[in-house]
Amino acid sequence: MITFESVTKRYPGGTVAVDELDLEVPAGQTMVLVGPSGCGKTTSLRMINRMVDPSSGRILIDGKDIQQSNPAILRRGIGYVIQQAGLFPHRTIVDNIATVPLLTGWTKQKARERARELMDLVGLDAQMARRYPHQLSGGQQQRVGVARALAADPPVLLMDEPFSAVDPIVRASLQDELLRLQAELHKTVVLVTHDIEEAIKVGDQVAIFRPGGKLVQVDTPQRLLAAPIDSYVEDFLGFDRGIRRLSFLAADTLDLDVDAIVGQDATAAAALAKARKAGAHWLLVIDSERLPLGWIAAGELDSTPADTRLADVPLTSDHGHTFRADTDSLRAALDATVLSTTGQAVSVDDHGRVVGVTSYDRLRAAIQKADDAARQAAAAAAGGVPAA
Amino acid sequence: MSWVFANISMLAHLTGQNAYLALVPVLIGLVISVPLGIVCARWSWLYSPVLSITSVLYALPALALFVVLIAYTGLTDTTVMIPLTVYTLAVLFPSVVDGLRSVPEPVRQAAVAMGFGTWRRLAFVELPIATPVVIAGLRIATVSSISLVSVGELIGIGGLGYLFEDGQQRDFTTEIVTGIVLIIVLALVADTVLVLARRWLTPWQRGAGGDSRLPILRATLRGRPGAGLT
Ligand SMILES: Nc1ncnc2c1ncn2[C@@H]1O[C@H](COP(=O)(O)OP(=O)(O)OP(=O)(O)O)[C@@H](O)[C@H]1O
Ligand SMILES: [Mg+2]
Repeated sequence: MITFESVTKRYPGGTVAVDELDLEVPAGQTMVLVGPSGCGKTTSLRMINRMVDPSSGRILIDGKDIQQSNPAILRRGIGYVIQQAGLFPHRTIVDNIATVPLLTGWTKQKARERARELMDLVGLDAQMARRYPHQLSGGQQQRVGVARALAADPPVLLMDEPFSAVDPIVRASLQDELLRLQAELHKTVVLVTHDIEEAIKVGDQVAIFRPGGKLVQVDTPQRLLAAPIDSYVEDFLGFDRGIRRLSFLAADTLDLDVDAIVGQDATAAAALAKARKAGAHWLLVIDSERLPLGWIAAGELDSTPADTRLADVPLTSDHGHTFRADTDSLRAALDATVLSTTGQAVSVDDHGRVVGVTSYDRLRAAIQKADDAARQAAAAAAGGVPAA
Repeated sequence: MSWVFANISMLAHLTGQNAYLALVPVLIGLVISVPLGIVCARWSWLYSPVLSITSVLYALPALALFVVLIAYTGLTDTTVMIPLTVYTLAVLFPSVVDGLRSVPEPVRQAAVAMGFGTWRRLAFVELPIATPVVIAGLRIATVSSISLVSVGELIGIGGLGYLFEDGQQRDFTTEIVTGIVLIIVLALVADTVLVLARRWLTPWQRGAGGDSRLPILRATLRGRPGAGLT
């Protein structure tokens, strides 16, 4: 765990880069520092490995004041990744990655073995081991930077805009890679970015700064999106935060409709009766494997001879977009609903078999339920009352 | 030509002397320039005054230096080598500073962040990265030094410069031309050795910015050291 205790950094010349920062980064979590240019993100990050010393206040790592540590030793236990990778141009990829293990006294052979493991971990082709940095693409160099930072298996990883120098596609894949690595390694990560999307994607918690080095709000991405503390944070989050926050709500809370589903062997009369009973305007037709075929409007069935099999009735519309209630978010469910001509979306299981159907009303109910639960949890946390 | 063969052992001796008189100052100049450059790269306010001093020294006529030095060191090799060392220093010192400054800031920062102390960072990161620039300076210094040795003939210690003096007195062009050719050959050999050393020392540069096939030409085209420094 990393703890900032009223940390202020005033540079010579009077700039207050960080102002009375109190922040706790729980062990094994990713904390993202985000804010506009010059708001003190890099300064905050560099105070953690003592590349910058605070003017006042303390920083603790696992309860130990870092001011008491030798900077060089401290840094060997803290991985650091920067925007331009900062690879050593005169060392091969494998030796770049092996840097810190070599510094801490590993044998060359052991350090290189470890470096090759890391190349594999971050998805670098083993063939690149003997190349020099200038022979790699920007995205590959950034992977080397991450591997180098992880080489000595430090518990803490600092990343200063690690993905901002690469194109959006590479950036997205590097972000995914970080999430995958983090799920495996559980480092205490502090990542700086000025891209709020990135912050929300990779952060367990996001700390929003404003110019003058003031921390405005720290929260989980979903709570930030649901309850920005003021208009600054709200503006910073962007205009469609209401929809984006649905990414953090699981679709498995949806109360799916299972009544408006009929097999293709049912007769028109039976289907019509089912629709009337459920009060449904649309019926989803499925085959014997429960795979979705498409929608029939209940109105169409009125004019269809009663004993016609549904298989012989033309479908009004195809089944549209589907989603997975067990694994997707409410955002995916909403997206599928918006894209469907019927205003309803089909939830399927991992074999594509129909589980149920959602609608705008059902989505709204699920969002409400999630918000109520979050409010209760927040109230319990604020009240400090242990759950009975 | 027959003169050349008749005097081959004298020519070999003069060539050897020329090489010795030129290369020892280059080595000493290098040994002084590196720490001086390191200090001036670290405390950058020192750079400008130190550069002014070395540039002024570079501008001193060799003859004036000889006159002053003879009083202390007499008619010895040392008297010739001291001015050459000063010239080498004037050329190499800015190269060392430029080389150290060529280390990209993110690379330096990364080194600090990984826990390199000042000295290790210098030894394992900054000096290796500065090497190509330093060797470029070293090539100019070496070639200049080899040709400047002839000036020592003013006090009778001038390596191949002897051939110019002697050839002029005897009005014997062959001897003068031989002297010029031998100086050029010596410079070419020394420069080639340095280019090979650079390739060996900086394997990462292969394929990134090619080597000149005519090293001496390139060194000459770079222009006189000191020019363009403000
Ligand atoms: N070494 C320094 N000396 C003086 N002032 C500095 C120094 N480093 C940063 N500052 C100032 O401190 C403030 C915060 O800088 P910092 O680099 O921490 O911002 P940042 O949030 O990382 O910005 P960016 O998004 O542009 O990287 C800025 O006003 C900057 O000009
Ligand atoms: Mg920054």
